[in-house]
Amino acid sequence: MTAANNQASRYDPAFANELYSIENGHYIKQCMQCGLCVVTCPARHLMDLQPRKYFKAIQAGDRDRVLKANTPWLCTSCNLCTVRCPRGIPIIDVMHGMKLYLAQKQGVKSAPGALFSKTFFDVMLKRGRQWEAWLTQMYFLKAGPSAIKDALKMMDVAQPMVLKRRLPLAPAKTIKGKSQLKKIYEKAAALAKEGH
Amino acid sequence: MTKKQAVYFCTGCGLGEALDIPALVKVAKSEFKIQDVKEHPFLCGPEGVALIKKDIEAGVNTVSIAACSERVCYDVFNFGPSIIVERIPLRERVAWVQEPGDEDTNMMAEDYVRMGLSRAKVTELPEPFLVENPSKTILVVGGGLAGMTAALEAAKAGYDVVLVEKEAQLGGWAGKVYKLPPLVEPFTDLAENNIPALAKAIEDNPRIKVYTGATMESIAGGPGVFNAKIKHGGGTAEEKVGAIVLATGARPYDPKKLTYLGYGKTNVVTHAEVEEMAKNGKLKEVKRVAFIQCAGSRDPEHLPYCSAACCVETLKQAVYLKEFNPDAQVYIFYKDIRATGKYEYFYKAVQQTGAVFIKTEIPGVQVLEDGGKLAVAGKDIILGEDVTIGDLDLVVLANGMQTNAAFGEEVVLEDAEAEAAAAKEEEAAVKLDQIIKSNMLNLVYRQGPEMPALKYGFPDSHFICFPYETRRTGIYAAGVVRATMQVPAAIEDATGAALKAIQCVEAVARGEAVHPRSGDISYPEFNMNRCTQCKRCTEECPFGAINEDEKANPLPERTRCRRCGTCMGACPERIISFKNYSVPMIGGMAKSIEVPEEEEEKPRILIFACENDAIPALDMAGIGRMKYSAWVRVIPLRCLGSLNLVWISDAMSSGIDGVMLLGCRHGEDYQCHFIKGSELAEIRLSKVSETLDRLGLESERCRFHQVSIMDYYRIPKLIEDFVAKIDELGPNPMKGF
Amino acid sequence: MAYTFYPGCASEATGKASFISFEAVVKALDIDCHGEIPDWNCCGATLVANAIGDFAQQAIAARNLALAEKEGKDILVACSSCYLNLAWTNEKMKTDPDFKSQINEALGAGGLSYNASLQVRHLIDVLVNEIGLDKIRERTIKPLEGLKVACYSGCQTVRALRRPDFDDVEYPVMLDRLVEALGATAVPFPMAARCCGGSQQFTNPELIYDLTGKILDCAAENGADVIVTPCPMCALNTDAFQQKIAKLKNKEYNMPVLFVTQLMGVAFDLKPKDLALQYNIVSPYQKLAKYGVKK
Ligand code: SF4
Ligand code: SF4
Ligand code: SF4
Ligand code: SF4
Repeated sequence: MTAANNQASRYDPAFANELYSIENGHYIKQCMQCGLCVVTCPARHLMDLQPRKYFKAIQAGDRDRVLKANTPWLCTSCNLCTVRCPRGIPIIDVMHGMKLYLAQKQGVKSAPGALFSKTFFDVMLKRGRQWEAWLTQMYFLKAGPSAIKDALKMMDVAQPMVLKRRLPLAPAKTIKGKSQLKKIYEKAAALAKEGH
Repeated sequence: MTKKQAVYFCTGCGLGEALDIPALVKVAKSEFKIQDVKEHPFLCGPEGVALIKKDIEAGVNTVSIAACSERVCYDVFNFGPSIIVERIPLRERVAWVQEPGDEDTNMMAEDYVRMGLSRAKVTELPEPFLVENPSKTILVVGGGLAGMTAALEAAKAGYDVVLVEKEAQLGGWAGKVYKLPPLVEPFTDLAENNIPALAKAIEDNPRIKVYTGATMESIAGGPGVFNAKIKHGGGTAEEKVGAIVLATGARPYDPKKLTYLGYGKTNVVTHAEVEEMAKNGKLKEVKRVAFIQCAGSRDPEHLPYCSAACCVETLKQAVYLKEFNPDAQVYIFYKDIRATGKYEYFYKAVQQTGAVFIKTEIPGVQVLEDGGKLAVAGKDIILGEDVTIGDLDLVVLANGMQTNAAFGEEVVLEDAEAEAAAAKEEEAAVKLDQIIKSNMLNLVYRQGPEMPALKYGFPDSHFICFPYETRRTGIYAAGVVRATMQVPAAIEDATGAALKAIQCVEAVARGEAVHPRSGDISYPEFNMNRCTQCKRCTEECPFGAINEDEKANPLPERTRCRRCGTCMGACPERIISFKNYSVPMIGGMAKSIEVPEEEEEKPRILIFACENDAIPALDMAGIGRMKYSAWVRVIPLRCLGSLNLVWISDAMSSGIDGVMLLGCRHGEDYQCHFIKGSELAEIRLSKVSETLDRLGLESERCRFHQVSIMDYYRIPKLIEDFVAKIDELGPNPMKGF
Repeated sequence: MAYTFYPGCASEATGKASFISFEAVVKALDIDCHGEIPDWNCCGATLVANAIGDFAQQAIAARNLALAEKEGKDILVACSSCYLNLAWTNEKMKTDPDFKSQINEALGAGGLSYNASLQVRHLIDVLVNEIGLDKIRERTIKPLEGLKVACYSGCQTVRALRRPDFDDVEYPVMLDRLVEALGATAVPFPMAARCCGGSQQFTNPELIYDLTGKILDCAAENGADVIVTPCPMCALNTDAFQQKIAKLKNKEYNMPVLFVTQLMGVAFDLKPKDLALQYNIVSPYQKLAKYGVKK
């Protein structure tokens, strides 16, 4: 493979195939690079690879770029690209799959979104329901000092919310079927792993 | 026939309010001496029609209907073949485009009545030209997918077919492939090669007579009476046929011209070679493959056009590779993937196999040796980076196609050189058709032995306006000989051509014209004793319908004629005319316009408008109630090609202030329904300046505009601009003489 | 039609006003919706799939469907994110047999199963298409004449099924009709189904400032007095972040954000406690004063 040596990480079918095999990953293959998702996405200006290019980079097996990109973490789940994609790619689902993959591969601390989602899930699984005030605290605790600074910047938003009782500090009810929920989750996670 | 005339004025649709009907009735009665003049408030209604029918029973045989445009209600006002019907379009061309009740509006209406009635006075009932024992057999030249499809379709419809194939076997290019691209829903799976099945169906069909290893020696005559000589088995067979489908296919672009894409290097192959490898099981060992799209196509140095099929061919072959070797890795270097229509699903399905598509510039990619293997280097223009794919076992060039009609020497017509020289003297002349001696039809036509090429050697017609049409009546090109296309399109094309051929033989049997004047039974008649053998008609007929004898007398081949009247416009002796369309008739209409004295300051402008697009556009302007000048009077022409210059000089000498011609777009992407008519008219108009000079008139008094039906909104502006120009020039000094 | 209600976690916190006014409006319109899905759990919102994948989240959401099926009544949802998860999971259960059997396998681990017999309906859908605008008009005691409303359906409300559902996926109109039935004027609002930034408040706050800012701008430019939405996330971002965004952009919005059921409560002349306006961060009292709303 002499001629191709200078671009080791690109056009690497192994990496592309690895991503095609994650949950919803196979859809990435059918992107035809029309760019409709790009003009659609509300977060496009903050993405270092907009969805179209992100998918191209995956198809091209461009490991470095894909692993570095913030793309999925910026997805807000607005679902607009998904209804528009002429190739019928459920982009929102692909983004979920990518986020799960990245968090597993790079650790939940690798991206704020990964940590926040994981914290959200942990709280939810433990209680059966969400408790936003607790979630927020947990998240900032885990995220460490730099995030605390961000949190302080948000005090002007949080204060009135607390005042207006929209961020109750007392926990909400937990559900009765907590262990049932856990069992369902664990089975589902196992099935999902088998599935692809 | 002795004419018994009657005139009917409709007062519905706002006509009664807008126009002074009694004044119009007076024109008919006192100027044209017609006694039978009636009014009706709803002429196209059952009562109105009954009124006319009653008069017909009482002996009326020439009916003038002063109501709506000839483009509407033609079925309602059809009283059978023995009744002449003249339409005077007071609604679309007067009442709806002028101020109601105005004096000028009524003068305009009166002129339309005059024009209509003067025409009704001289027009005659046409009789069809019938050939003896017209043949309804359809000759299909070319036994590939398109030719076989056309043959089967025609036979299925109950027509006898003669199928001629130059190879020893039917099948053509499609017969040689391993599989065909998807042909049915959901357009994701390859189709088995169906050529053997088609060949069998043809063999089993008693209506189809097949000549293999055969070529066309010559084809003489015209629709219904073609005499086809087929060279075959050392001898010549003769067949009398009614119409012809030309389906002689295309050939792959010569890969030897693709050395810049690596052709010549070991394992750099073409699509056709991959088909061979697939059939011989040689794709098993192939693991890494790159395809290079647009190899030669869409490249001004090679084939300037898109070959249309090679994207899908590549997708198909990518599937082969996976079929023979599930681990195969396919890379496709492309400019655009043109998997059109439902092939979008196929494209998607091939993407799902994991093939990698790399958008790049072609030419611009390089094929390199890579340690015993190959590599392709280029730029990935989506990622914005250079890319090299190495370790390749095979590089496939998607080498596109060239119509078989493009191969051969260009025909130089016998006296074309002399003609060209003559043309130069007369400045502009219509460009001669490009005819390439491809040895496919060998027509015995004055205009050359093959179909004229439209572009890049394809014997096409205007593809949007006139699908399936060509410039030789009764000969329909189908499949990739006509234009590049994908397989399903070729099948559809062949079916369409078979249908056209059927329409043609049926029309000939009834003495009717084919597209675009389908159903017309009038035809040009030549008053030969005044012919000067000037050859204008033979040269200018866009359809090659006029042959010549040794003495250069025109010999009309009537079933080739499309009844456009171009010959009539061309003839300087004015000896060509139709029963219901002639130089004196149109001239008479123009002369019937009343030209007011100069002091009245009412200029008159005559518009000659083509019936195919300009008249509909004018009507649409009318339907849209757009207003334009009351000075204009419109005379419809079959085609502007039938414009005879004498009409312009006559009009000018009778005091008309300006003449405007409205015809179809010509030249590149022409829309002229008779291909060259509007172009010829413009050329003729350029020569009218001499005449005008002689009369001491400015050449700006004549104008030509190309309009399509969609230009209706421009019509008022075109007219107003011209009126302004005429105002500027002042009245025609010939008025009153 | 009888429904079981799925309140969603926000009903207990950021979207409390939605919950309170919803219950009051249900009563006022006599909708047959008594009680919540017993022991319902969080649907996963927009976040859980990031941590555990779509399938596992959908299994968690499906627990609610299974519990509701025991009640035998269709599910009514007011929160858009909940609607998205429940309705989409339900749609897949109905249309994809493989998915159905896999989910049931997971539910089986908790002793549950779901036969996909229910419909999941969004509040707006039920109000407009079941209850009907006539009835809503009839019930309106204080027509909101002169009130200009930007009807912010939100993105997930209309795109849950990824195809036209009860409304257009890009230019929804149902909320406008509903608001007009209350006598108010729905101003043109092209951002009606655009994203507010969702739950990125902590992870990418600039996104919220930017997107929610655009929505506020659009409402203001079109002369809206208030924004109305069914979605707790939209409400949170446009209301709680409004001051901050105004400061960043050096603007003044003063644009109260009401849940659609709060606005209905005003038109229905419900009691102040049912309107739950005390939870609103940008005060709505001044703009609603002429319809008899007092603190
Ligand atoms: S809209 Fe779909 S097909 Fe088009 S670029 Fe985006 S993901 Fe690819
Ligand atoms: S769903 Fe995500 S990726 Fe798609 S448009 Fe919305 S924010 Fe962008
Ligand atoms: S069909 Fe495709 S490969 Fe062929 S010329 Fe057209 S774009 Fe190029
Ligand atoms: S010019 Fe037209 S009318 Fe004359 S012979 Fe040719 S096709 Fe016929």
